[in-house]
Amino acid sequence: MLKKFFIETGRYFLFLRIVFKKPEKWKIFWKQFFIEADKLIVSSVVLVAVISLFIGGVLVIQTASNMSNPFLDRMLVGYMVRESLILEFCSTMVALILAGKIGSNIASELGSMRISDQIDAIEMMGVNSASFLVLPKVLSVTVLSPLLVLLSFYLGLLGGWIVVETTSIIPAAKYLSGLKYSFSEYYVFYSCFKMAFFSFMISTISAYKGFYAAGGALGVGRSSTKSIVISCILILMFDLIITQLMLY
Amino acid sequence: MIKIEHLYKSFGEVKVLKDISIEYRQGVCNMIIGASGSGKTVLLKTIIGLMEPDSGTVTFNGQDISGLPYAEKKRFRQHIGVLFQNSALFDFATVIENVMFPMDFFTDWSRSEKIKRAKYCLERVNVVGSEKKYPGELSGGMQKRVGIARAIALNPKYLICDEPNSGLDPETSILIDQLIHGLTREFGMTTIINTHDMNSILEIGDNIGFLHQGRMLWQGDRHSIFDTECSELHKFICANSLARNIMESR
Repeated sequence: MLKKFFIETGRYFLFLRIVFKKPEKWKIFWKQFFIEADKLIVSSVVLVAVISLFIGGVLVIQTASNMSNPFLDRMLVGYMVRESLILEFCSTMVALILAGKIGSNIASELGSMRISDQIDAIEMMGVNSASFLVLPKVLSVTVLSPLLVLLSFYLGLLGGWIVVETTSIIPAAKYLSGLKYSFSEYYVFYSCFKMAFFSFMISTISAYKGFYAAGGALGVGRSSTKSIVISCILILMFDLIITQLMLY
Repeated sequence: MIKIEHLYKSFGEVKVLKDISIEYRQGVCNMIIGASGSGKTVLLKTIIGLMEPDSGTVTFNGQDISGLPYAEKKRFRQHIGVLFQNSALFDFATVIENVMFPMDFFTDWSRSEKIKRAKYCLERVNVVGSEKKYPGELSGGMQKRVGIARAIALNPKYLICDEPNSGLDPETSILIDQLIHGLTREFGMTTIINTHDMNSILEIGDNIGFLHQGRMLWQGDRHSIFDTECSELHKFICANSLARNIMESR
């Protein structure tokens, strides 16, 4: 099993070496970049928006319900919701959700192309198939995913505010002053960096699994599932490592 | 001309190709025939460089491509047109975009020039009026034709076809065979067709190599195939009723 792990890891890095070759034509690369950005990132906006709105609202209720101590200022609810969102939810949780959506999309698309000889056809034309198919996906997801973090952050705070406004959990003014209390821009950078890193992992792992899919339609399904499982585990592992390195 | 000398290929313990030596000539339809599992597709993939041989050489007009670095191999592949068994058209592109795909990468032609060339190739394979359709909207025969149009888009020196008739009705099969045969003569390409379809063999087999359990047991043309003394080829031929009748009448 350990031998298989090292072989797979080696193949993964060799795959990355082929992917990060200079594109054959920049014009074609940029065209693909924007197609992939639309397909992978823009199409995820609604999902991220809905989840963030609801999670923001839920966080307000949960945090307020755990702060029954009258000596604690209710403003802290807003503060804690903001910190929870920016530190963990908007990057790690959204990355886990995207691992399912983007990861399965990439792995199944490339896997289907592999088993129907489309990748071989590209290769036979003298085109670097890995670079043509994978590089625009990886770069568009890695570069643009931090925008999803910012969107998720604002919509999460908005979701919390809607709950505060429509219920009497805490006064809206307290919530808003909590949001502004002791704000650190570094946390936004930290969250965006984490998201870009996770997105790179999701896109390259799922591309690797899809690119080398074998065994027909079942094989494509297997590679898609494996890519999601591996991405999720690695996201949680690297969440710990990056947090330790950047926050402590 | 494509020349193969002492080619060996195995997967683990299984030896798939054993000492294959054959020459494929220019301007004629060269065929690799044999039953399923005889090693035809592996031989074809080894010839075009999608698989590396264990030993032996494949030379294209005297140039051995197996030892070339990746970048040079890529450049060389621009001279090879390949028609895959299931056409391998790109699902993300329309018919005309599929044919224009190699032009986008390897020519500096303007868009109108590329469209003109793509339309010419599509007309040449009798696909007219379906330029804006996606591969999923085409029949199997149409997909094969578009596959051929894409393969000849850059005027290749070599045309490689993997089971061009698989999944097609007899009438469409003959049309595809005649199309490949006509294009081979017209453009003077070195064409290799991998098939087990006896009708195709009798229709266009100019230079035929019979593969059995990884060995090239017989070589000849469609006229001499019935005079074979190779028992395995005899069995292969007699599996087809039409060919069996011809053989018995001789």
